[in-house]
Amino acid sequence: MYGGGNTFEGIKTDSIANEDPILLAAFEARIERGEKIEPTDWMPQLYRKQLIRMIEQHAHSEIIGALPEGTWITRAPGFKRKMSLMAKVQDEVGHAQLLYSAAETLGKPREQMIEDLINGKSKYSNIFNYPTFTWADCCFISWLVDAGAIVNQLANAKGSYGPYCRALDRICAEESFHLKYGHHCVIYLASGTDKQRQMFQEALNRWWPPMMHFFGPADKISAHTEVLMRWKVKMGTNDEMRNQFLDMYVPKIWELGFTIPDEKLKKNESGKWDYTEPDWEEFKRVINGDGPCNKERLEVRRIAEERGKWVRDALKSPKAKYIMPLA
Amino acid sequence: MLKSLDPRVTRLPVVEIAKPKAQLDQFGTYEVFVEPKSGKPFQHEGSVHAPNLEMAYILAKETFTRRFTCSSLYVVDTRDVYVSSMTEGEQNVFDLIEQSESTNGTSDFEIYQLIKRGKQHVFLGSVKAGTPQEAMATAKTKLNTGKIVYNIWAIEANKIRFTTEEEKEYWITLPEKKFRDASNYKGGDKLKRFLEKVNS
Repeated sequence: MYGGGNTFEGIKTDSIANEDPILLAAFEARIERGEKIEPTDWMPQLYRKQLIRMIEQHAHSEIIGALPEGTWITRAPGFKRKMSLMAKVQDEVGHAQLLYSAAETLGKPREQMIEDLINGKSKYSNIFNYPTFTWADCCFISWLVDAGAIVNQLANAKGSYGPYCRALDRICAEESFHLKYGHHCVIYLASGTDKQRQMFQEALNRWWPPMMHFFGPADKISAHTEVLMRWKVKMGTNDEMRNQFLDMYVPKIWELGFTIPDEKLKKNESGKWDYTEPDWEEFKRVINGDGPCNKERLEVRRIAEERGKWVRDALKSPKAKYIMPLA
Repeated sequence: MLKSLDPRVTRLPVVEIAKPKAQLDQFGTYEVFVEPKSGKPFQHEGSVHAPNLEMAYILAKETFTRRFTCSSLYVVDTRDVYVSSMTEGEQNVFDLIEQSESTNGTSDFEIYQLIKRGKQHVFLGSVKAGTPQEAMATAKTKLNTGKIVYNIWAIEANKIRFTTEEEKEYWITLPEKKFRDASNYKGGDKLKRFLEKVNS
């Protein structure tokens, strides 16, 4: 699960001016040929920095994303749903480990990333700062937030950095069941009682605005990332990703007879989706810490880290030495 | 005190603010190799962090073999993987490996090769040698087919934590865990009945 690629910093035009032009040309030619960049290859500082930032955010999103769903494991309706949800949440946490390892090959140790998450320095997908009031909220995440994540991940798996692509291939393969499971859950609510239908409709009303935020600020107001597109760090603009998601899933939501809370939502003649511009001020406010669950999410992580410390200390061995993983 | 929709969160104890981690408060890194099916070659899957080889094995099992078929797995300290240089284009890395003085060593070494950039390292074969350098030189004479290889790893077998015969049972039940399989979630019939009811 993922909601990343949306908080890139603006890039100064001179940030690649200091790179060796010959090495840079060879690097760009390699990407142009469709080859992957591997950890031992030369790469521009900006490429390294932005990739660490992106993969790290992705990893944190997996960890934090496990919380709003994890909270429903004990209350999942029935044993089968409980087994599925447990497996799904375990997958998400496993994916974070794969991603931390991929980011580490670029030079930032995992412990440093975990620390930056806890102290609020690193971001994670904004959507997980919202609460899961009911089982239907949990189903919304399993189906539609994962669907959005898969749109992003499938695109990023065609990117240029070898270790990240390999991690994403594995993640996408493992996540194929998440999407089917989520859809299954929603079909059951949709074809259930009036109360069940109402429950999902309310969840949809709550989650639609954050879901539209999920792909990041509109292209016209977001930081310029042309160079990252050329280097295949970012594989599509935020609006392109959003449009792809709407194209794939709005019909499926409508099919189930639910109402998406946006009167302007419709496909226009050019085949793109029109919609009410999401409230980007709200997005900024929440991403900067003022959302309904920001504090709780980080606090739960921090408490887990502190309470697990004695276990890590007990296991620690002076013989084990941290070095960068190979690939 | 945290107030949350999740009663378990509300019950969490208050914990002192974490102090910044001491430098190098970190586990070691270990490389993970998986045999996806009996008879298929082992391939490199990724790495795990662990305090020792045994824990690395357990974590590797959880991280890399929860979902897809696996018949065996092994882990080794990243420091025990001897890595050749990386080549590209038409350059076969074996051509760059220099002859090494024979030590008459008889340790087993596992040799891994990278034949396509962007893919994983895959098991090539085993050789006997005294040092990793010698193992690479031996691999050059014994395992080099002339096909372009971009990168070679040599790992001394006695540094590896292998899967024992009894442990192979770990993965026998994997195919039974259908709840982790997309094909187990067929909502189509229910959806069809629902749509028929709505449209009638």
